[in-house]
Amino acid sequence: MADSPVSINPPGGNGQGFEGPSPQEQKQMEQAFAQMKRKMSMEEIGRKIKHKIMVLSGKGGVGKSTVSTGLALSLAQQGHAVGILDIDITGPNVPKMMGLDGRRLHVENKRIHPAQGHLGVKVISMAFLLEDEDTPVVWRGPIKLGAIQQFIGDVEWGELDYLVIDFPPGTSDEPLTVAQSLPDIDGMVIVTTPQQVALLDSRKSITFSESLKVPVLGVVENMSGFTVNGNAAPGTQVSIAGPGGKTLSATADDQGDFSVTLDIFKEGGGKDTAEEFGVPFLGALPFDPGFVRGGDDGVHRIVSEPDGPSALAFAKVVAAIQDQLSDGADSGLEII
Amino acid sequence: MTEVLPTLKKLERRQQDMVLTYENETEYTVSYDDLRFACPCAKCSPMRNEDDSSRSLRRQVEALPAEKPTVRTVGKYALAFEWIQGCSSGIYRFERIYDLANRRDPDRGKPYVHGAW
Repeated sequence: MADSPVSINPPGGNGQGFEGPSPQEQKQMEQAFAQMKRKMSMEEIGRKIKHKIMVLSGKGGVGKSTVSTGLALSLAQQGHAVGILDIDITGPNVPKMMGLDGRRLHVENKRIHPAQGHLGVKVISMAFLLEDEDTPVVWRGPIKLGAIQQFIGDVEWGELDYLVIDFPPGTSDEPLTVAQSLPDIDGMVIVTTPQQVALLDSRKSITFSESLKVPVLGVVENMSGFTVNGNAAPGTQVSIAGPGGKTLSATADDQGDFSVTLDIFKEGGGKDTAEEFGVPFLGALPFDPGFVRGGDDGVHRIVSEPDGPSALAFAKVVAAIQDQLSDGADSGLEII
Repeated sequence: MTEVLPTLKKLERRQQDMVLTYENETEYTVSYDDLRFACPCAKCSPMRNEDDSSRSLRRQVEALPAEKPTVRTVGKYALAFEWIQGCSSGIYRFERIYDLANRRDPDRGKPYVHGAW
């Protein structure tokens, strides 16, 4: 490279002219530098965010994004600074649920600034980068993992009390990458529905957590029971044909109100799984059609009905998670 | 029938092994070699799938210098062991430790497949 302006004598060299790095080497050096910078940034982010919670499920369709957004909003309701990282690259739903549909991310000084949804919750999602919502993201593993690392390392989250990380279903590369990239993850919340096939997959998630060195904060049972409210003459006995051929009865109270809870997907499975694996059961969330409407309209149930039964159920789950976060040494075990 | 797991009350770390005392006063000794060989992390677990790699893992573990690990509880369901050398990644559920104490295969004969248990 005779025309190179750089001529360096390497230590221990023969004193003759040293050619600068080739363009390929230069590129490799730049990549290594960028990688190192991102790693440092990830460590810095790890320090600025007090609690990092992963939300996973072994099976799709159990309402994981609904639970993630619900947890984030419930925490924000308590006055915490909260962020959600939507890692579901192929099917990112969080922005829609947070009323941020069609929003674009703001980039300044090569740092990505999250969008702010309901109750000030900061949101980062692949959906913000898609040209239109019908475009599928078809990425092979390494590109996907690079994007995840960028979402962690290049985002300006600021100081957060909680970061909730929403994953695609299953136990594959995404949680592994996050667990390896983001320091001091507090633990995983496993979302399940009560039926056997979902429970089987939840068990996989619990086993998965052990191999990632990320503790299980607990199991949440979603779509746990659908409550039918009605009105009849006070004292009237009401019978409803429930799932599985069960007849459910209720008596109208003095005001004439009655309610019956239908266990559409059976009941208690999440609790059984938690007990079987010796991990905490964080609570059950009711089957609430308002989540479907809210998800489509971009107004989460916790925002539209902050004192409703679903918001209260989320508050209980959040309290159980906070119990786990402050727990740890209180197992009664003496270690000598 | 599901076995009822007794609560672990005391863990005494010795130079080569640990003594576990359960609430029913039963006492077991688990060597650190056995403990480290049974590491449930994503790196060690697949090595136990095949005889050759399993033997290799056993040799690696036995070649490590004797040391007392730092032990911490994980929630109320597991323990984590930090070693100066070797793998410290696995989280050991109390069931796994009880299996080791009773000289049972903690993997229950199931091979490890990443992402597809």
